[in-house]
Amino acid sequence: MPRIKDLKKVVILGSGPIVIGQACEFDYSGTQACKALMAEGLEVILVNSNPATIMTDPEIATRVYIEPLKVAFIEKILEMERPDAVIPTLGGQTALNLALELEGNGVLERLGIRMLGADPDVIRAAEDRERFRRIIESVGARAPRSEMVRDFQAGVELGEKLGYPLILRPNYTLGGGGGGVAYSREEYERMLLAALKESPTSECLVEESILGWKEFELEVMRDKDGTFVIICSIENFDPCGVHTGDSITVAPQMTLTDLEYQDMRDEARRIVDAVGLATGGANIQFAVHPQTGERLVIEMNPRVSRSSALASKATGFPIAKIAALLAIGYRLDEIRNDITGTTPSCYEPALDYVVTKIPRFAFEKFPGTEDSLTTQMKSVGEVMGIGRTFKESLMKAVSSMENRDEGLPDVVFNEKLLSHPSSQRFYQVVQAFREEKTVEYVHALTQIAPWFLEQVQAIARFEGEIRAAADLDAGTLLAAKRMGFSDAHIARLRGAAAKDVRERRWEAGLHPGYSQVDTCAGEFASETPYYYSSYWAEAAAPGPKNEKGVVILGSGPNRIGQGIEFDYSCVRGVKGFREEGYHVIMVNSNPETVSTDYDTSNELYFEPLTEESVLEILRRTNPLGFVAQLGGQTPINLSHKLAAAGFQMLGSSLESIDLAEDRGRFVKICKELDFKIPASGMAGSLAEALAIAGTIGYPIICRPSYVLGGRRMEVVENADELHSYFDRHGEFIRDEEPCLMDQFLAGALEVDVDLVRGEDWTVIGGVIEHIEEAGVHSGDSMGVLPPQRLKGEACRRIEDLAGRLAARIRTIGHLNLQLAIKDDQVYMLEANPRSSRSVPFVAKATRIPLIDLGVKAMLGKTAAEVRPSRYDWRAVDTVSVKGVVFPFKKFRDADSILGPEMKSTGESMGRGRDYSEALLKGFISSHVQLPGRGEVFLSLRDKDKRGLLPMIREFLDLGYTLTATSGTAKFLYDEGIDCVPVKKVHEGRPNCVDRIRSGKVALVVNTTSGRRSIEASFGIRRSCIDYSIPCVTESHAAEALLIAIRRDRAKEFTVSAVEKMI
Amino acid sequence: MKGYLVLESGEIFAGRWHGDPGRVPGRAGEVVFNTSHGGYEEIATDPSYFSQIMVMTAPQMGNYGVDKACWESRRLWIDGFVATEIQRSRRDAGWEQRLLDAGIPVLSGLDTRKIVLGLRDSGTPWGALVAASGPDEAMVKARELIQEKKAGEKDWAHAVARRELEVRAGRAAGGPRVAILDFGCKENTLRELERECSEVAVFPGRAPERAIRDWNPSGIMLSNGPGDPADVREATETVRALLGWKPVFGICMGHQILARALGASTYKLKFGHRGGNHPVRDDLTGRVYVTSQNHGYAVKADTLPSSARVTHVNLNDDTVEGIECAAKKCFSVQYHPESHPGPRDARLLFDYFLNGL
Repeated sequence: MPRIKDLKKVVILGSGPIVIGQACEFDYSGTQACKALMAEGLEVILVNSNPATIMTDPEIATRVYIEPLKVAFIEKILEMERPDAVIPTLGGQTALNLALELEGNGVLERLGIRMLGADPDVIRAAEDRERFRRIIESVGARAPRSEMVRDFQAGVELGEKLGYPLILRPNYTLGGGGGGVAYSREEYERMLLAALKESPTSECLVEESILGWKEFELEVMRDKDGTFVIICSIENFDPCGVHTGDSITVAPQMTLTDLEYQDMRDEARRIVDAVGLATGGANIQFAVHPQTGERLVIEMNPRVSRSSALASKATGFPIAKIAALLAIGYRLDEIRNDITGTTPSCYEPALDYVVTKIPRFAFEKFPGTEDSLTTQMKSVGEVMGIGRTFKESLMKAVSSMENRDEGLPDVVFNEKLLSHPSSQRFYQVVQAFREEKTVEYVHALTQIAPWFLEQVQAIARFEGEIRAAADLDAGTLLAAKRMGFSDAHIARLRGAAAKDVRERRWEAGLHPGYSQVDTCAGEFASETPYYYSSYWAEAAAPGPKNEKGVVILGSGPNRIGQGIEFDYSCVRGVKGFREEGYHVIMVNSNPETVSTDYDTSNELYFEPLTEESVLEILRRTNPLGFVAQLGGQTPINLSHKLAAAGFQMLGSSLESIDLAEDRGRFVKICKELDFKIPASGMAGSLAEALAIAGTIGYPIICRPSYVLGGRRMEVVENADELHSYFDRHGEFIRDEEPCLMDQFLAGALEVDVDLVRGEDWTVIGGVIEHIEEAGVHSGDSMGVLPPQRLKGEACRRIEDLAGRLAARIRTIGHLNLQLAIKDDQVYMLEANPRSSRSVPFVAKATRIPLIDLGVKAMLGKTAAEVRPSRYDWRAVDTVSVKGVVFPFKKFRDADSILGPEMKSTGESMGRGRDYSEALLKGFISSHVQLPGRGEVFLSLRDKDKRGLLPMIREFLDLGYTLTATSGTAKFLYDEGIDCVPVKKVHEGRPNCVDRIRSGKVALVVNTTSGRRSIEASFGIRRSCIDYSIPCVTESHAAEALLIAIRRDRAKEFTVSAVEKMI
Repeated sequence: MKGYLVLESGEIFAGRWHGDPGRVPGRAGEVVFNTSHGGYEEIATDPSYFSQIMVMTAPQMGNYGVDKACWESRRLWIDGFVATEIQRSRRDAGWEQRLLDAGIPVLSGLDTRKIVLGLRDSGTPWGALVAASGPDEAMVKARELIQEKKAGEKDWAHAVARRELEVRAGRAAGGPRVAILDFGCKENTLRELERECSEVAVFPGRAPERAIRDWNPSGIMLSNGPGDPADVREATETVRALLGWKPVFGICMGHQILARALGASTYKLKFGHRGGNHPVRDDLTGRVYVTSQNHGYAVKADTLPSSARVTHVNLNDDTVEGIECAAKKCFSVQYHPESHPGPRDARLLFDYFLNGL
């Protein structure tokens, strides 16, 4: 047995809530590792605080703990479980840091637990930049000139010595958090200050600039006997200076000679050996000077990473799975290559295609933030396009982005926008070539390698040919398709409809072929059905009807509002259909996901989620039907077009979806059912809006039609603000797509309900009570299940309404509802005819397998078969709190105030015996640092002051001191509460922001409303973000925080494994 | 201009013909595929690819233009170059132009994966690259070229080997003197030797035993080379006569010749190994290397004499990748420790050989 003996039980640490820089790729890696180790007969204990993950489904591991990824909690779990080992290399930086802590404070040693896959010294060697640099130099490689700065003054002197621009890399931060490029002394000093603060060790590496160098990354694996393989080489389209997570990247590398590439490979091997990485995966980033070929080592991560997920999807080589098997003692040559089934894993994948990743950003969510890319990662998701050539893969990735217009948008060329990296720069590059700029010119401004530019130039030129062609003959069409042009894009160039182009193409017999990702460029036969489409391959024939075939449409790139939760739904859905004996075909474009693991479904199509590409897949696979209700809004938006082409949609009908989604029809149904709904209207213009406002009265909640994640959704308090709303968002509002205006139920309690309905049955998954009052997007508000404030009777009324609505619109499968309760009245706010963001949370909180039930509903199972009465969400004896995580820190000028537009990237789950314990864990898992003592600074709007008095008194009782802005201080003084007044920003200095920045404040409660007040208090919230001080912007959230703090003082908590689903 | 790859079986693949067919006419050769991502220059200039039409599985070629540092000999040896896309760039002379200047037909704009899957299943056949107005014309032209090619000289190693002795000074003054029998030797093998030797003598593959003995080397290398080792008769006899005299290290064709000289036989693999990602286990050290490979023939393990043993095994298909015969002071590997292109994991074999001299 090659496996390490005496190994029976291992703990895998997850990566916690989704944050920028650490997303669902770690769900993919952890899930894969769990599966592999379970198959080895090991007991696997998984710990993660993120309920939206597949890995925290209780079936994935022997036991799953949804608990905070903090030492105190993990220690308790380890004491209970007594595992033989912990594997810390699969849960990103979070798991690695956590393992280091557990080792550092002696927990592992005390409990006799070994660390597998990486030893602490290796982690430190790779992570401690100074030490890493010494190692680099010891093997004859070179790192950028740099020095570790530990105090500000020394840092300033170093800056003068090295010269600008300079790159700042704070030690031990996620996704390069707090780092960046400083072009001037002034900028440098400001950034250095923040970086020193950001680093948990108050250290920041300051290094010479390598801006404009070519950037590469090697994904490597090594086994205990020293066998070393490169799984994938990745080249960045964007040169150094842009975080690799924010770069367009390409695999395999494109512009190095074999000599240069092998030099890099040899160096990677020497580094891995010198660092002492005994087994597992790692990535190493290099910079190569475009002219001299000089090579520098940028960094190394001794663990699986975002790019290893990408590399796994790009090559078919399951890095995380193999890393887990190596960690328990196998050698690479002892592990079979799953894809070929015949060859061993000690080889380097050969690609006969090209893969392009494009990141997806969310700058529009954070007004005031500059769209500018630096060494600090800002993207929230990514897509991958696989094509036979770079052009085809790039264009497929562009189509996968799900932008408003499919294909390359027309933009106004602007030299400045071309010169500075941003989320839009790529489109400027395209535009430059449309306007006949030369490769030399674009290269001079962007430093993008000429080879890439020539490819983009070829695409831009071909646009011209498509436009100019007298007739779209088969030859031109084929050439365009081989370059990756979508029908919609061609149609736009021709001024035609996409449908016409498609018909033209079909007449010409042009369909994509489907090639396998087989790890070996065709050298060995492979049975693994992992496909990508290409017009270079022979056109696929229409498939025979597969009555057991089900196509599940995924959710595409992660974005704020649509993320990992929907991958959970898809993956669980795949499993559900497979268990019912169906052949499941998965379609998705997001390389970070579990759904795009080749062994999740029966067939995997790594393809854009566009009408065109899905229709081709449906034509080839000819399934019983497709499923649109698991992948979020993306597949729902496609459902009409797919059904119109004659394909069967499983579950709720188009009509049912329409009744929920069409605001007008939905309102009518609600009235018919005698539900209370907020007064509402639809306005195609400002004049209409003002008239509607006159009838429904302020405050009003406004949003354009067809929004996701509350995009451009705002609470408008008066006519001035309504004017301002139309000034800013008027371009998204027209008669056909009116502005939806709803009476805003100030102070109402909001709830989310997730249910599943079959023909003759309904199961309510649960009611989540929002902690914040109405007005905060449901994705951004904390929530609790079971409800703590709602009375039982109100809950029953809610369930009744939900059931009646589902029956009326004839939902088959999932339905998510949002309701509000005010003055004992229940209002129906919104219905989503699909699985929702809250489904995984609800399922884990209640043990009701909602997705499985949805599958049964879609397959027409009856009540007799499903036995719905088994599922009672009230039967739970634990309280579950959903915590929320925000990316404000990464967006320098973003405001942290919560509103109707969603801004969070991830969620956590706190499970407790009671509300306070659940809250405590929810906050801790959401990275809120609960202050044990110190100063609480208050700045409250009038309507919250009285309501928060008990809370304020309790803070005093707990020994906190109070400061407040003058109005709040006066109110407290009048109430007999001692409180130090502090100036507001406009009242002179030192003011409250100075006070926060000086480090005197431990906690801030800042409630405010109205555009003007919000703007005036921005500095308070921003300084809290910059200095990692908890800042609560809503009164109920503040009360909840207090409950958690009180509980925290008790220093008493339990941990428990999640029970299996019913 | 339309171009075609026509296989002897009659299978035909249409693509884009590069260049003027008047100046670069069609050619025939053995159709093989290579799974290396890059290294197109090393491959095309490696004499081992003599008479072969190279189908690259990696779709994009010519990306970095031309770099003489990558050349493995003074000229290009292949009889055709096929890839999905070949970069045509104003930046430098360009790979496409270099191929055309050497009179090598170039075909692109086609699904190379389809060709590869066919070669994988049917083996590597004769074929031809031709420019033609349509498939019928292509067929006729190709048949003729293939017939002609098949009738030609079969000792390909002789065709590419040097005709005269070439002696090079090494860079290590006190180092060993190594004789190498040239069957199509790659430049990087010589570079490796020059670094550690005082003198390197490259003998034509058909050099007589006497000439080598007269030069009195410290050790002998048998180079890589193209074709069927069974066709290389003279050198096999020469090697047999020299066995036991001085340490011998063979690479690729050199390995096959050594095995045959020891009495073993060789056979044609279905579609050979060509690429830079094949795992090989070195049974002497227990280590696994990722290797650079380029061969269509292999040594039959069970025909080796009892004095020899298999030391290296291909982990993909368990074929022989290296042998050793201590009694005769010789060892050899089927793959390419000199890499170029491909991984350099096995470079240490040169040190192993030279340290033993």
